Amino acid sequence: MTASASPVGTSDVEYDATYIHARREGALIFFVWFLCLIWAVPVCYFTGYDSNIDPAKLETLWGIPKWVFWGLVVPWLAADVFTVWLCFFYMKDDDLGEDHEVAEMHAADAAAATKGGEA
Amino acid sequence: MNLLTLPLFAAQGQSNAALWMFLVYTLAVLALAGLSNRLMQSKSFLSEYFLGSRSLGVWAFALTFAATSSSGGSFMGFPSKIYTHGWILALWIGSYMVVPICTMGMLGKRINQVARISGAITIPDVIRDRFNSAVFGLLAVCLIVFFMSFNLVAQFKAGSIILSVLLDGVDVFHSTSIAFGNFVGGLDTTGFTQGVDPEYLLCLVTFGVAVIVYTTYGGFHAVVWTDVMQGVVMLIGVLILLPLALTQVGGLEYATSRMAKMTPPVRVTATLERNGDSEEERTIRKGSWIVLRGTDEDDAEDQLYRTVTAFTIPAGKTSSDDVELLKLTTQADIEQVLGNKTIEPIEDVAINETKTTTYKYGQEKPGSFVTGPGPSPKSDSGFLPLSLGISFFFMWAISGAGQPSNMVRLMAFNSSRTLRRSIFTVAIYYTLIYFPLVMIFCCARVLMPGMEAEPDRIMPAVAILLTENIGMGWLAGLLVAAPFAAAMSTVDSFLLMISSALVRDIYQRNIDPEASEKTIKRLSYLCTLLVGTAAMLGAVNPPKFLQDIIVYTGSGLSSCFLAPMVFGLYWPRVNKYGAISGMLAGFSAHLSMYVAGSFINGSFFSPYRVFNIDPILVGLFVSFITVYLVTKATPAPSEELVRRYFHKDGAKVTPPTA
Repeated sequence: MTASASPVGTSDVEYDATYIHARREGALIFFVWFLCLIWAVPVCYFTGYDSNIDPAKLETLWGIPKWVFWGLVVPWLAADVFTVWLCFFYMKDDDLGEDHEVAEMHAADAAAATKGGEA
Repeated sequence: MNLLTLPLFAAQGQSNAALWMFLVYTLAVLALAGLSNRLMQSKSFLSEYFLGSRSLGVWAFALTFAATSSSGGSFMGFPSKIYTHGWILALWIGSYMVVPICTMGMLGKRINQVARISGAITIPDVIRDRFNSAVFGLLAVCLIVFFMSFNLVAQFKAGSIILSVLLDGVDVFHSTSIAFGNFVGGLDTTGFTQGVDPEYLLCLVTFGVAVIVYTTYGGFHAVVWTDVMQGVVMLIGVLILLPLALTQVGGLEYATSRMAKMTPPVRVTATLERNGDSEEERTIRKGSWIVLRGTDEDDAEDQLYRTVTAFTIPAGKTSSDDVELLKLTTQADIEQVLGNKTIEPIEDVAINETKTTTYKYGQEKPGSFVTGPGPSPKSDSGFLPLSLGISFFFMWAISGAGQPSNMVRLMAFNSSRTLRRSIFTVAIYYTLIYFPLVMIFCCARVLMPGMEAEPDRIMPAVAILLTENIGMGWLAGLLVAAPFAAAMSTVDSFLLMISSALVRDIYQRNIDPEASEKTIKRLSYLCTLLVGTAAMLGAVNPPKFLQDIIVYTGSGLSSCFLAPMVFGLYWPRVNKYGAISGMLAGFSAHLSMYVAGSFINGSFFSPYRVFNIDPILVGLFVSFITVYLVTKATPAPSEELVRRYFHKDGAKVTPPTA
């Protein structure tokens, strides 16, 4: 590391809003993923992984085994509802900034045009 | 429902619908490539060719993301697994409920922003600039080229197999294959193509040339537009199949209750003896039914077998060599097949079983197709024990976020608004695709017993059966295009990723930064063409373990890239030492599970599983921990770098040069 390096976080410059929002949204999404994991897997395991289930007495809902319905169909629909809320009510429309490569290209074009005009 | 009324194998042959659909489809993608190439004339070539000028709107971004993630496996391997293991596949695929938010929402906004700040076009570009390290950029390039080259060969093989399955039964395809095989054999003086199935070879060349041409000529936008078309084809296919399957099976309730009584079939090795004249050669086709009738005297029931391969009883002999058969064990299935008037089972041969192979889990007791962990021919723990159920929640949702092919798409959308709407679109798309697929192929288990003999054909076989039963066989052409579309959309994206790594990350950024656009353009075309051709040639004699290679490379890429990328986007303190160490540690930890597997289990592709969990969890865990610990133990990154990527107005800070 060069001598110019300084400890991070000592600067008084504000963090970028897009970064802050993206971090908050990412953390929420990770939490929801974890919720889905601890809902789906245990429900399926404790209600659908019994080798002593009598096939003649298998419980179903709309033709779907009950353990699949409560362990996967319901959280799947809940995840879709969450996605709607996340996408339309929670996520911010942040400014992603200008594309530097494209901006540089336009600048180069403008410079070339000016040069041509001068000639 | 009366078993005999179930529509079974109405379609043993295949109409030309698949061939026509394939031709129309190929012409359509080539036309899209032409349009895309015209678009490139007015824009910055490199940015347009490899990233579509970061201009993707909602539909283009959502569908290219969804289609690229759904490889041929989604429409061939996944249906085959549902058919073979039953309802447990709902849990196997369950984490797709959060895949859109995880793979797009967790990193999307930041990766797009960082790529804009640095002007990055590729993932190694992002890594190099974010960490200000040319070495790190080159390491990322090497890993991408290493993993994706293997994956590309495997995907070419998958696409070719899919095409040959779809065209199986089309007369003109078989005759053309023979002629093509002879033609290639005549040209080949090295023996390179010796022993290669001519049908596979023809499909490989057809599939390969189509993908290489449209990807090379059209670049990123051609890939995206074809992905959109392919995504629509996939969705329409599933939405048509679902009601047809449910109505023809007699409702999902009936299908599930039938599955609850099923037991898996038994693999049998046997010699067949014929009763009749032995002077003539007798050939029995793959997929034929053979019945041994029970007698009333001893109350024996009929026994039903299906041939796994074609075989011949030679002239002058009464018995065959050992052949592979599948023996049905569920009485209702046997009655259903024997009661179907369109099937004429062979009755004049005797079967001498020499070896039987039963499922290691779920063989004896009915109910395994409707409960966990699902029947398994290989594992005593069943198809999906608890530990693997948890692993797959990581595999699809978290590992998916670490795939460079997904990440590069996250750099291509045009605004946060597009990202939000696309996440919603992909969530609905996956809901309409994946759970319905489970229902469709659970119904298929009831409609078409004995398909374990050729499980890869279950998708086209079901499509043909369901559509011909309603007198619309032509519709099968559209439905069977879905798996083909899925394979194409994955191959084109991978091809472009390798090509961009070579041209942008190695040539332009390390060899000749001042290269003219004309040179870059020629190199890009040439690289895409050469990489595609090399992968196609590699697939002429492809390695075995197709699915295993795809799993290894996919999980390996995630083990390498996810942790450095997550920390790089969200932790200002992370430095290049930590990120490089994390990438190498993830690669090594993941690889070591496979190397250990080759010693302990006897095969590289049977990885060692610590506590029965998948190697990807080990790779991710080691990678994340390493990035954190090494970063803490080494100096902080420069203030300029942190400002540029994390602070307000930081993008205006002059970047340090790597």
